[in-house]
Amino acid sequence: MNTIILNGSPKGTKGNSEIFARQFIKDMKHPCEVKYIANENPQQLAQYVQDFEAIIIIMPLYVHAMPGIVMKFIEHLKPAKKGQALGFIIQAGFPETAHEQYIENYLRVLAQELNYAYLGTVCKGEAAGTYMKPEFMNKKLFKQLNNLGRLYEGTGGFDKGIKEKLGHPYKLSKFQLTFLQLLEQTGIGKIGWHKFLKDNNAYDKRLDKPFLF
Amino acid sequence: MKTVVIKEYGDFAIPNAYVLDLTQVTVKDCLGCWTCWWKTPGRCVHKDLDEFYAKYVNADRVIIFAKVSRGFVSGNLKTLFDRSIPHYLPYTTYTTGETMHVPRYERYPDVEVYYLGEFASEEGRKVYEDYMRRTFYQFYFKGISVKPIGELCLEGVI
Repeated sequence: MNTIILNGSPKGTKGNSEIFARQFIKDMKHPCEVKYIANENPQQLAQYVQDFEAIIIIMPLYVHAMPGIVMKFIEHLKPAKKGQALGFIIQAGFPETAHEQYIENYLRVLAQELNYAYLGTVCKGEAAGTYMKPEFMNKKLFKQLNNLGRLYEGTGGFDKGIKEKLGHPYKLSKFQLTFLQLLEQTGIGKIGWHKFLKDNNAYDKRLDKPFLF
Repeated sequence: MKTVVIKEYGDFAIPNAYVLDLTQVTVKDCLGCWTCWWKTPGRCVHKDLDEFYAKYVNADRVIIFAKVSRGFVSGNLKTLFDRSIPHYLPYTTYTTGETMHVPRYERYPDVEVYYLGEFASEEGRKVYEDYMRRTFYQFYFKGISVKPIGELCLEGVI
């Protein structure tokens, strides 16, 4: 299926969505074209994607939904030509993918109302640090994305099993919750953030309330 | 009562309110740079919303006149939501049984959303309203009301 991938991250080639897109097309025999919503005029891009049989938007989760720039593109997206398909891959910071249910519901309704065949929305939590991790720590994720893309090229759909694995956990289990609460109480969960703040000489200002009067 | 109005349509007279008029203002898009968490905590790298932020975080209530766009929040309003991230800390908390960011401020205003626009289905309306409520729940707003503008007119408020 002649598919275009739209990277919906404001960071363009420098973010996690770019990594997801590159891993998704890595094992394809004929890798899809990738375009960057952040670099395009939304109206012209909406016109351009009309010539493809399928559109896949890969994006980060911002405030429970798509980044504003992606919504600006969606505002110009035209109803599907016969048989055109639309799908989404969302990478998010929080570990549980239940946070994505609100946008997932919208994207399903959107595809239906614009007469696209809905490919589905693949969600992956705990992805904010993907670009910072050494490759061995991303090995499993990359393999899943490689397979997702390879199978997509063959079948024209998202593999159900891989989609399910990437979307796990949907909700935090009791054990995960207890563990995360422990990290929160001991302050261990803040260590990474504190390193970034210190590197930027901003640690002392971390709790600032600059607009309170 | 300190009131902030964010409007995408209409011309409602709300006494003593600060108005962010999104029919005239295009909010600069979030860059995803995390400057507001790492470099200048609580402050966005863009400065176009600084006056608004000062009114917003000190308000008792926020009234949003939102235009439904493609069955969802408009791109401009969504960008405004994205740019609310500086008002929260990067740290996460699990006290509600799910992951949430920790609030930066002690209190946040109440919000009333009055939306204008049609939906192709009742499901579409529910998706929109659920998203709005969820967003302000995660923003730690206490009183959250999401209604079509028609209801407000019927109630005689405007």
